[in-house]
Amino acid sequence: MASEENKRWDLGGAQDAKRLLRESKAHKGESLWTDARRRLRRNRAAFWCLVFLFVFALFSFLAPLLPIPSPKALDTSAGTALEPAWPWTTPHLAGEWDPDTFPNDADVAPGVLPSRAYGNLLNDGWRHQTVLRFHQESADIPPEPLLDWVEGVAGRRARVGSLRPDKEGGYLRYLCLPLDRDDAPRVDFEPTGVSGELLVWRFPLAEAPPGRPAFGVVYDLNLPEGLPPLERVGVEARTRRIELFLTPAERPAGVSGMAYRATLPRHIEGSAALVLVNGVGYPVEGGPPLPAAAAKLDLVLAPAQELRGIEHEGLVDRLRAAAPPPPGATLEGATHENGYWELGAIDNWMLRARVALFGSWQTGNWMGTDEKGRDLFARIVWGSRTSILVALAAGACSLLIGVIYGAFSGLMGGRIDNVMMRIVDILYSVPFIFVVIFLITIVNEYRTELEDVYGIDREVIFFIVIGAIYWLTMARVVRGQVLSLKNSEFIEAARIMGASTPRILFGHIVPNVLSVVIVYLTLTIPAVMLFEAFLSFLGLGIEPPKVSWGLLANDGTKAINPLKIYWWLVVFPAAAMGSTLLALNILGDGLRDALDPKLRGKD
Amino acid sequence: MIRFLLRRLLWFVITLFVVMSVSFVLMRSVKGGPFDNERVLDEVIQRNIEARYNLDWPLWKQFLQYVGPINLDDDGARWFVRDEEGFHLAKGLHWFQDGKLLVQDPGVDAFTGVLAGDFGPSFRYKDWTVNEIIAQSLPISALLGMVAMMWALSLGISAGIASALRPGSKLDLSMRLAATAGIALPNFVIASFLIILFVFLIPLFPVAGWGTLRHMILPGFCLGLVFAAYIARLTRTGMLEVLSQDYIRTAHAKGLAPRTVIMRHALRGGILPVISYLGPATAGILTGSLVIESIFFIPGTGSHFVNSATNRDYTLSMGVTILYTVLVYTLNTLVDLAYTFLDPRIDLESK
Repeated sequence: MASEENKRWDLGGAQDAKRLLRESKAHKGESLWTDARRRLRRNRAAFWCLVFLFVFALFSFLAPLLPIPSPKALDTSAGTALEPAWPWTTPHLAGEWDPDTFPNDADVAPGVLPSRAYGNLLNDGWRHQTVLRFHQESADIPPEPLLDWVEGVAGRRARVGSLRPDKEGGYLRYLCLPLDRDDAPRVDFEPTGVSGELLVWRFPLAEAPPGRPAFGVVYDLNLPEGLPPLERVGVEARTRRIELFLTPAERPAGVSGMAYRATLPRHIEGSAALVLVNGVGYPVEGGPPLPAAAAKLDLVLAPAQELRGIEHEGLVDRLRAAAPPPPGATLEGATHENGYWELGAIDNWMLRARVALFGSWQTGNWMGTDEKGRDLFARIVWGSRTSILVALAAGACSLLIGVIYGAFSGLMGGRIDNVMMRIVDILYSVPFIFVVIFLITIVNEYRTELEDVYGIDREVIFFIVIGAIYWLTMARVVRGQVLSLKNSEFIEAARIMGASTPRILFGHIVPNVLSVVIVYLTLTIPAVMLFEAFLSFLGLGIEPPKVSWGLLANDGTKAINPLKIYWWLVVFPAAAMGSTLLALNILGDGLRDALDPKLRGKD
Repeated sequence: MIRFLLRRLLWFVITLFVVMSVSFVLMRSVKGGPFDNERVLDEVIQRNIEARYNLDWPLWKQFLQYVGPINLDDDGARWFVRDEEGFHLAKGLHWFQDGKLLVQDPGVDAFTGVLAGDFGPSFRYKDWTVNEIIAQSLPISALLGMVAMMWALSLGISAGIASALRPGSKLDLSMRLAATAGIALPNFVIASFLIILFVFLIPLFPVAGWGTLRHMILPGFCLGLVFAAYIARLTRTGMLEVLSQDYIRTAHAKGLAPRTVIMRHALRGGILPVISYLGPATAGILTGSLVIESIFFIPGTGSHFVNSATNRDYTLSMGVTILYTVLVYTLNTLVDLAYTFLDPRIDLESK
C-alpha cells in the first residue's frame, strides 16, 4: 500500500507526468471569474447597484439626445429660482408653440420665460436663439412695430425681450428669434486650406480711455492666395484668443452666413484699430485713431478657416438691407446664443438627432430652476457627465501609475522594493488635499499658457492631479499581491511543470492581481468623485459655465437663507450624488466579497 | 521603542524637507510675483515690496531664509528711496512731519525661517504674519476637530457595538446601510440638509458663527459623521471577532453580567482597529474642516487655507500645508505608540 502511494507521486518517468496531467485536467475547477460572477449574482444589492449605475451612465452619456432644457445660463439677470413644476400640478403650455397664446410680455428677458410642466424649445429652455439689440432714445416706444418689422424681414416669429437702460442715457430693447424646428443648432468650421501670415503691430495710445488698454493694435494679414472681395472685417477678442472674421461680399447659395475666421492663439492687450488684408485696410468700428508710426510685434497666424452655418450675420445683413426700422429705434447688433458649451462630434450628432426626434418639445422644470433660470434637472444630468469623466480619467490615471509602480516594486523585491515602498510611505504621510489645492492654485497661474501652447485644458490637469494622488493605495495593494503570488505554491508548481516566465506572468499572476485591482478601482472611483465634488465645492475644480455635482452642491449651499428655503437646490443634487456614490460603494463592497471571499465582512 | 521613534523622526525630517522644498519651488516658479496687478506700481513701491518680502534675493538665499533657522537678513528692514541720483538703500528710515515722528522704522523685522517656527509674513493680509493668523485660528479648528472626534467616537462605537451584538438583525442591517451612506455622502451635502432641518425648519441651532457650545454642535456633527460611519464598521468587525473568542465564553461562564463582559472584556480588544484608524481619522477631520468651516463661516485654519488658495496668498497656504503635515505625522506616530500600550503583542521594532 505504501509503495503504491509512493509510486503515485514519483515523478521520475514521463509516463507518470502524463498521468498527472491527465488527472489534473479531469479535475478542472471553476475559474476565479466564473466563481466571482456567481457570487455577485447572488449578492442582490450589489447586482441592482450595477444595473442602476449602468442605466445612469447611459443616461448621462445620452444627455444631448434627451429633450431637456439647456444647462447653461445665457441671461444672468434672471429672477429667482423657480420651484419644481410637477407635471400634474401646473397648467402647461401646449407641446407646440402657438403664436396666439404665446405671451409677448415686455417684462420677460430674453430666454427666461418660465417653461411649465411641459416646456417648449421655442419658449425658453433650449435657448438656441439670435438676440437682436435695438437702441432707442426713450422707454415709451412700443415694441410691437419693431416686432412686426423684424418678423417681416426674418420671415419667422420673434419674441419681445427686456428693455434696459444703456450707458449713453438711452435704452436697449432686446428681441429674440428662437430657432425653428428645422434649424439644426450648428456652426460648422471647415478648413479652407487658405493660410497666410499675420503680423500684429502695437502702438501706445496717447490718451488711454479709463479702464481700457493703453495700446492700439493693427492686424496685418497677408494671404498668398487671393480671397474673394471682402465686405466687412470684424475683430472679436475672446478671453484667450482673438478672432478675425472676414465676411466675403458674395456667399454661395443656401448658406445663410459665412466668414473666414483667423484665430490668434494668444490674447494681445490693446484695442483693435485697423485690419489690413493684403494691403487693403478695414477700419474697426469704435477703434482708436491711428498714429504715424507703430512698433512691430510679429505673430504668425493660425490657418484661416471657413465658417458656415446658421449665423446671425446673414440676418443682420438682411435687416440692414431692408427698409429702415420704425422710427425711434436703430439696430445695434445681434448675438447668437448657444445653449451649450463646445461639444464634441458625437455630442453634436446627438443634438441633431434630438432635434429630429423631439423637434421643439422639451421637458419642463421638473426639478425647478436655480436663481439664474437654469433647469436643475438638465444641470444634474450634464453635471453627471463631468463627474463620470473625472472618475474614469482619474481612475485610469491611478490604475496606470499604481499598477506599474506596485508590480515593478513587487517583482523586483529586495532593496529596490524597500526604497520604493518607503517613498510611498512618505507620500502617505502628507496631507494631500492641502498639497493638491496648493498645486491647483499654482497650475491656475499657467492655465493660459498650457492651454495655448500645449492645448491642455484646465480640466485635464485637474484629472491628472487627482489621479496622481490616488495611486498610492493601488500601488501598495498590487505590490503586496504580487509579492505573495511570487512565492506562492501554485506559481512554484507551474515553474516545476516547465511553464515559461511570460506564461507564469500572464497566465497566473496577472489574472490574480486583476481581481484585486478591479476591487480597488471600484472603491477608488467614488472616492475620486467625492474629491472632485469637494474641490469644485471650494471653487477649485470645474468652472462655470460648465457644471459638476460639486458646483451644484455649492450653489445649493449658497442659496440657503432664512427668508426662503430653496430646498430643491439642495435635495436633488444631493440625492443624485448620494445615490450614485452609495451604489458605487455597495458595488465595490460586493465585488470585493465576490472576488476575494477571504475578506468578506472585513472593512 | 527608542529605535522606532528615531526612525520615525528620520522619515519625518525627510518628509518635511520634501514638502517644504517642493512647495517652495512651486511657489517661486510661478510667473509674476504675488503682487502683480493690472495697475502699474511706482518703481519705488515695487522695490520696497520686493525688499519687504525678500523677493529680490537669489533663489537659494530665499530658500535658506525660508527653511531657517537662521536670519540672513543682516540689513534688517530695508527701504529703497529715490532721489535725483536714482535708487538707494535707506536704513532705519523715520518719517517726520512738522517735527513730529510719524512713522518709526520697525527696525529688524527678522524672519527666521520655518525650522525656527516662523512661517513669514502673509502676502495678502497686510501687517499679519502667518504665525499670527495660525495662532488665532488653530485653536478654533482644534476645538471643532475635538467636537467632531467626540461625535465620531461616541456615535461610531455605540452603533458598532449595537450592531455587533445582534449580527444579521434588522438593527444591524440598517446600521450598516447608514454607515455606507455616511461614507458615501459628502459632508457638505449632509451639512446643507442639517442646516435646513435644524436651523430653519426647527430652529435649534444658530446658522453660523463661533463662540458658544451651540455653535459647535452642528458643524462638529457634520464633520464627524463620516468618521463615525467608518468607526462603526471597524467596531462591528472587531467586536464580532472578539466576541467569538474563548475568553469571552469563559467570562460568560463565570457568570459575569453581560454588560461587564462587553464593556470590560470585549471592548478592549474590539476597539483596537478603531485606535489604528484614529490617525487617518484625525487627518481626515483636519482636511474635512476646510469645507465645514467655509459652510458655517467658522474662522478656523481651514477656511483661512481655502481663502489663501484662492487669493494666491502663497506664504499662508504653504505655512498651513507644512503645519498640517507636521500635525498629521505627529498624530500618526502617537497613535502607533498608543497601539502598543493597548496591545502588547504588537512589536514596533519589527514593523
